[in-house]
Amino acid sequence: MEKRALTKVHDWLWEIPKSYRPDMRVPARVYTDEKMLDSILGDRSLDQLINVATLPGIRGWAIAMPDVHEGYGFPIGGIAAVGSDDGVISPGGIGYDINCGVRLLRSTQTASSLRERLPKLVHSIAREIPSGVGRGGPLRFKKNDLDQILRDGATRAVEIGFGTDEDLDRIESRGAIDGADPKFVSDHARGRGGDQLGTIGSGNHFVEIDRVDRVFDPAFGIEHDQVLILIHTVSRGLGHQVATDFLRVMVGTMQRYGISVPDRELACAPFRSPEGQQYFQAMAAAANFAFANRQIITAGIRRAWKHELGDDLEVIYDVAHNVAKIEKHAVGEVLVHRKGATRAFPGQPVLIPGSMGTASYVLMGQQGSMEQSFGSSCHGAGRVMSRTRARQQVTATELRDRLQKLGIVAEAGSSKGLVEEAPEAYKDVDAVVDVVDRAGLAKKVARLVPIGVIKG
Amino acid sequence: MIEIIEHTADIRLRITAATREDLFREALRGTIALLQPQKGEREVQCDVRIEAGDPTVLLVDFLNEALSNAHARREAYDDAAIWSLTDNRVEARLLGTEAIAFGDDVKAVTYHEADIRRDAHGQWYTVLVYDI
Repeated sequence: MEKRALTKVHDWLWEIPKSYRPDMRVPARVYTDEKMLDSILGDRSLDQLINVATLPGIRGWAIAMPDVHEGYGFPIGGIAAVGSDDGVISPGGIGYDINCGVRLLRSTQTASSLRERLPKLVHSIAREIPSGVGRGGPLRFKKNDLDQILRDGATRAVEIGFGTDEDLDRIESRGAIDGADPKFVSDHARGRGGDQLGTIGSGNHFVEIDRVDRVFDPAFGIEHDQVLILIHTVSRGLGHQVATDFLRVMVGTMQRYGISVPDRELACAPFRSPEGQQYFQAMAAAANFAFANRQIITAGIRRAWKHELGDDLEVIYDVAHNVAKIEKHAVGEVLVHRKGATRAFPGQPVLIPGSMGTASYVLMGQQGSMEQSFGSSCHGAGRVMSRTRARQQVTATELRDRLQKLGIVAEAGSSKGLVEEAPEAYKDVDAVVDVVDRAGLAKKVARLVPIGVIKG
Repeated sequence: MIEIIEHTADIRLRITAATREDLFREALRGTIALLQPQKGEREVQCDVRIEAGDPTVLLVDFLNEALSNAHARREAYDDAAIWSLTDNRVEARLLGTEAIAFGDDVKAVTYHEADIRRDAHGQWYTVLVYDI
């Protein structure tokens, strides 16, 4: 795509008009500064965003956040709100990582008080929380017990001893999305991921011990030099299979509903159709599995924390960035697809994980997000370098040395997994967050820097 | 033949083979190789039967079925005996060994950019993008 196809709305927002392509139903908008726009134009993110603008029932705009990058079907960092009565639901608009999300915990420690004990603490957490490819956890649930997790999410995890009611008050939707129905989660999905509760997985998922490096706006009880814990993980193999199962269903049934899409990964069904409802109920069940997963991981971290330091940890917030939810906005009731975008309702904590060795952010949702982005913000730094290229450019030894010089203790299941997530593989998270702050979507509360990293 | 093509976030492979059956088998090998299985001794097999609206969707669904089984059963398939292959249906036995562990994760084979074609030399080919 050529830059001249975009119109500058203001310093932080660019628009591709509906007239750009005849099949667009709404304009496409990207929140970015001019420098990052040049980088965004380097891949096919915006072509994919234009494809999203063709979805039946889409309202307002197809929206991309500054961390947008090329995916398949939807770009990562994309938002599409469709009418709940006349719109479609697209599994590709949520992705295979259903309810990939972030949880933030507060400790009573400061970074300076923790320095000596950090290596032992990181090791202790890594022992409590299994990580790595396809890795199952110690918990085994019978079908009925798993069904309860799928229906009630973190609420069920608390009922069986993983946490407290106070935790639930600080989780998006109290850790359980309404409408989940376990009967639409296939045996394949249960076989693939049913034993993975309490595990991080691999790729860009991690547990991070962070130091509050800077406070921009005192909120959520966050103070300078405080130690916080960030958990970034997902519904694991169970969610991957739910997405695969229903993409297959929708590829096979779109024609019956007279729907055609420019990319099969945008396969969809009317939200009110049997296929649309079944996917929504299965997706909600997988999302609940992810909320329960982060709840059970929290319990493991608390055990390690208690053992090493004698302290407890408090949940600050837990929010998804890959999910579809029914919400009321100025255009009426809509189904908001967020694929690599974080809900950012006014006053709500918005958690933005960065890459190892750089920074993560806590933001606060602003009224501007309701007016401009269907209550959404960015979700991370956004990849700019392929994993293959990262492996070619960075060695594990060099990266470990670099992290050590920055005072970061890292435990990774594999060197390959470590180098693929090297900081240079990602955009500048400070610049990404600046855009959403200046555009009025979410304001900066605190900048966090890692001191300990546990990943698969 | 399997070639890796650059992709910012995921993995893109171009698969080429002399026949359509071989394209399915080569794509299966490429898909399972991405998991970097640590193979055990025990031989395994798994029967699959897939129906789809066209040959490309059939290939992607076939590969996703193999991927699901590999994850759920902890098996690494390196070949398939294809009993029947039409535009809309494949019946095959996946053949391989137990997988003690996988070194990498593949969430799914996507439909994005998948398109089975024949080149001027009669070779069958397609691109496949994987979510990893």
